Amino acid sequence: MTIDRTRFDKGLTYDAYKEQMTRNRDRLEANEQRVDLSKEDLAAFRALPRTVKVVVLAEDWCGDVIANLPVLGRLAKDSGKLDVRIFLRDQNDDIMQRYLNKGQFKSIPVFVFFDDNFRELGHWIERPASVTEVRAKRRKEIFAAHPEFGSPDAPVDQLAEDVRVRLQGELVKVQHDTMKFANAEVVRELREIATRVAA
Amino acid sequence: MTEAHKVKITYCADCGYEPQTLDLAKALMLEFGSRLSCIELIPWEGGTFDVSVDGELIHSMTRDGGFGESRAITDAVRARLSA
Repeated sequence: MTIDRTRFDKGLTYDAYKEQMTRNRDRLEANEQRVDLSKEDLAAFRALPRTVKVVVLAEDWCGDVIANLPVLGRLAKDSGKLDVRIFLRDQNDDIMQRYLNKGQFKSIPVFVFFDDNFRELGHWIERPASVTEVRAKRRKEIFAAHPEFGSPDAPVDQLAEDVRVRLQGELVKVQHDTMKFANAEVVRELREIATRVAA
Repeated sequence: MTEAHKVKITYCADCGYEPQTLDLAKALMLEFGSRLSCIELIPWEGGTFDVSVDGELIHSMTRDGGFGESRAITDAVRARLSA
């Protein structure tokens, strides 16, 4: 599979993608509002010598898409230097097969950056490793502080319903508490890839 | 007295595993009918797809990989019901 102009143009714009979403659009747009771009980051994108094309693989049921696609959407909108086209993962397996996470998982979102001639500058998958690490650490701390939650590796269906609901609340809080850090890490990694065009 | 058997399916709601969850729930309903006292669906996170019968884990995406074959899971439930 090669991405060329013809294939690129078949992708959905960010707004068109939002229009076709069947769920989670409210969550995606709320996250879009929460993205806080620094002047420095925005300046780095605005200083790109030319527009960078970004091919995205996404689906509206995926939590990492709902969390991270809005970061790209805001960078594109606020900088004017990213031309984003979104492809639905399950209808574009040829693209997905080329960007499997660890060579085997169909993790999304996938962001692939191209120059004017559709030479790949780099790609980004799912979420930053640093975010996964921080959340895993927080998760471990939660289980250590709450013996009633049992082992982090035990099936949650063995917990009493009220305990399970409290655990779920704690895990949601981790997502919320780490969102700002996660967004900053996404921006940092995307900036590193996109600015290769200037090198 | 008939023994009550409960099946729980814990699935990652963030991952969009609802179709596989509903397919399996339907297969269990059609196969076992009232022999199951309850089929509980638990929306969770973290890529989970676990199936347990009376507290015994018979399939886990983390442990066994994938969603599991519907036939293999119904066989495992039948074995547990017959035990």
